[in-house]
Amino acid sequence: MPARSPVITGTGMISAAGGTRLEVWDSIRAGKSGLGPLTLFPSSRYGSHLVGQIRQDVDRLTVGVRGSRTDKLAWLAAAEALRCAFPDAAGGNTLRNLLKSGAPPPERRGVMLGSTVGGMLGTEEFVRRLLRDQKRRFGVLRFHECAGATERCADLIGARGPCGTVSTACSAGAQAIALAGRMIAEGEADFVLAGGSDSLSRLTLNGFGSLLLLDPTGCRPFDARRAGISLGEGAGMLVLEAEETALARGARVLARLAGWGASCDAHHATAPHPEGRGALSAMQRALDHAGLTPAQISFVSAHGTGTPDNDSMEAKALRLLFEDHLPPVGSVMRFFGHTLAASGALKAVLCVQALQEQHIPASLGCEEPDPTLNLQPVRHFEARNLSHLLSNSFGFGGNNVALIFSRAETAGGSADLPADPCKAADVPVLFSPTRIIRSSGEVSRRERQTTLSTSQAARSVSTPHRFAVVGAGVVSAAGNSLAEVFAAFQKDEASPALFEMPQGSPPARIRACACADFGAERLIAAAKLRRMSRFQQMALVAAMQSVSAEMLASVPSDRVCVSIGTGLGALIDTAAFVENLVLKDERAPRPACFTNSVHNALASQVALEWGFTGMNSTSVHREICFEASLWQGAGELVSRGADLALVGAADELSPYTLAAGLRWGWWTDATTQATSPASKPPLAPRLIPGEGATVFALARDTTFAPALAWVSGIHMGYGTQLRNGELDADREALWIRDTLAQDGETMADLDLILTGANGWEPLDRAYEEVAKALARLADREIPVASYKPWCGEHHSASGFGFLTAIGLVRGEIPITHCGIGGNLAASAGRPCRKVLLYTLAPSGAKAMCCVWPERIPDPPS
Amino acid sequence: MDALIEDLKTKIISTLNLQRVKRAEIKPDDPIFGTGLGLDSIDALELVAMLESEYGILVQERAVADKAFASIRALAEFVSTHRK
Repeated sequence: MPARSPVITGTGMISAAGGTRLEVWDSIRAGKSGLGPLTLFPSSRYGSHLVGQIRQDVDRLTVGVRGSRTDKLAWLAAAEALRCAFPDAAGGNTLRNLLKSGAPPPERRGVMLGSTVGGMLGTEEFVRRLLRDQKRRFGVLRFHECAGATERCADLIGARGPCGTVSTACSAGAQAIALAGRMIAEGEADFVLAGGSDSLSRLTLNGFGSLLLLDPTGCRPFDARRAGISLGEGAGMLVLEAEETALARGARVLARLAGWGASCDAHHATAPHPEGRGALSAMQRALDHAGLTPAQISFVSAHGTGTPDNDSMEAKALRLLFEDHLPPVGSVMRFFGHTLAASGALKAVLCVQALQEQHIPASLGCEEPDPTLNLQPVRHFEARNLSHLLSNSFGFGGNNVALIFSRAETAGGSADLPADPCKAADVPVLFSPTRIIRSSGEVSRRERQTTLSTSQAARSVSTPHRFAVVGAGVVSAAGNSLAEVFAAFQKDEASPALFEMPQGSPPARIRACACADFGAERLIAAAKLRRMSRFQQMALVAAMQSVSAEMLASVPSDRVCVSIGTGLGALIDTAAFVENLVLKDERAPRPACFTNSVHNALASQVALEWGFTGMNSTSVHREICFEASLWQGAGELVSRGADLALVGAADELSPYTLAAGLRWGWWTDATTQATSPASKPPLAPRLIPGEGATVFALARDTTFAPALAWVSGIHMGYGTQLRNGELDADREALWIRDTLAQDGETMADLDLILTGANGWEPLDRAYEEVAKALARLADREIPVASYKPWCGEHHSASGFGFLTAIGLVRGEIPITHCGIGGNLAASAGRPCRKVLLYTLAPSGAKAMCCVWPERIPDPPS
Repeated sequence: MDALIEDLKTKIISTLNLQRVKRAEIKPDDPIFGTGLGLDSIDALELVAMLESEYGILVQERAVADKAFASIRALAEFVSTHRK
């Protein structure tokens, strides 16, 4: 069992089988599939396929919620889960008050979601209008990213604690729930919305079609005639709480999240390991984590997609784990289709429901069980005595997650549940983001006290963590190794060059930090290279630099986890696939472009290179995707799931992002304007686009290699109002101080605040205001600087910030270098022994960590 | 048929980005998969997409694809029978 037990106090879901969990449960009880015709968008090729499309008018149900269909589905499921967690709430206002008085404070609330599609449905429409009608409606691209779903849910509960988004293909929802469980177990949050959401899209429909993985007549999991998946859409959400705080507020405990386990096949980009090696390992890890034996599992909610390969390998893995004592096994895929990232979350909601109702769903669609699989899927909805349920989710890249849900022992936990009054149709907009006035004076006494008591509560459960950075790799405009980058700094050459837009794009010359030849052809085997996207190549080359032969020889491959994030993913391949759909009317879509478009292709490619079978994850949370990856890798080291963590992030330039940036006035066309006017100094002179990859090897100590630097205080948060151009700087400063205090650190020895200031005035001013507020709290001046002048603006840029911090504390990068923006003249010649890397995203996400040159002393206990 | 076989070799090399493979290295009667070319299931599907875009042949079942890709000669016969 985890150290601090995560319990489930609310669930919500929306899918083709029903708009709420009770509607879906009714469909399951009746054995009624929600699959039907596709009407969401026209498809010349797959229009006649059965799909799991949600029939409710999602836009009408979510009036006031700005976002993609994926975001809105997540919001609906979250609103239902909150109603379930606060059953006494009769209306919106009451729920708001309950959340205010009953739930933990905003800094202790978090959100962790999985999504793979994000706003792709809208982006496809943008591309169609652009290519067919020459209409350039860039606005919709603001809803492209997967993180939007997380942020709408965070707004709903007023979360200011850790918020993140993962994209590990079809296991993302389960991965998010596992990470949320860890947040609670580690004492980083007390109240977390966790789940997954994905809408239907042309990309995924044609993508799975191009892989010949769609069954036009509907999926038939574990059936002898199974021929593929049915694509679906939906969202599932859990309210996870720390048991102690849940009981303190009088919450009903519906079930426990007893354990989780993740693994990577490291076998193939899309095909699962034929013997189910990774699936077995994830299930074993989950059982170990929960402290259970296979014999204690009373039902397996299988991944059971209905593809020949998945079902066959899953059956083998189940037989290996359970031998002759296989509990009932079922797949719910036929009820609502394969909802990709939502899939693991929908199954989680149904596992909780099954534990409460003590019934298991039928494996609908399986009429002639495949005799070669040697398992008998559940044929009818039936009563069972259920204690512990195992739920499997497997994704492309061999990213596997297994979750274990256990019956709540608490008396009265389930039997006296009232019928849920919530219908999707009447969910009101509960929490619109409140406007926070930028404060420039002293923070009020009340607020200071509240935040302090929060941090003290957290400190009692959170242990200080320090990690050694034992390897580093980089692909960048300034150089393709740590030594090259540091040398560029010494020679004053770390600055951007002119970048020509590729042919066929709007003609423009933009000053950009673009990577030149980074040696991919020399370093990566031709057989692998020929199908890799450009940014996968960048990340793999960076990863190669981050590990040494000695390191690889001393760490077993199942003790290495890979957590490499990306903000926007393989833009060039994704665009190629979508453009092809539009221009050729779905003729001959390229499967390799689709498999590259999956965000976690990056991390799984790195795992594949060395056969790393530890947890494999991909954070896609905006400009903090690097820190979120760092947080995940470090978490795996803390929980002893791995001994070495490869963490990093990568993003690539693309005509679409460059054109959108031109349109939004972020950067200017050098063909029409000699130089863009420098915006207000001092932090960063002007916004320039960039790209690149950084990968770092992280360990608990220096057993495997000497440390380049040490890192501590890795935290994420949410809730600044930067997107409205406002920021409560004092509150931010308190968050930084108090969160660092959880790790036993003070600001007394802070030498530099390294920020992502990029020349965009509201962002730069926000950083400056926070730095001033921190200086007030510390009662001394703390210099502030930016790394963006040398690496440019992209979602993975904070990885370069981390690298800059390492260079600074090692004395390799002069603090007053021109590649570092900032008013630092006064700091020249001073040693830099502790750097705070602090990142603010315009959307409201934020993150930080501290970098040191040597082992940080543990705080006095 | 020989012209079609050469044509297919060129298209396979360009579709699968096999820049270091010479046409002469691909023998007409060798299996396309499971030989020294190091191709996998995604490559097979890339060739399915190539058959559609270049020859207008729609393959929607894996079994059909597996049979068609037995060798370059088998593929040439499949193309000449089904092309539009």
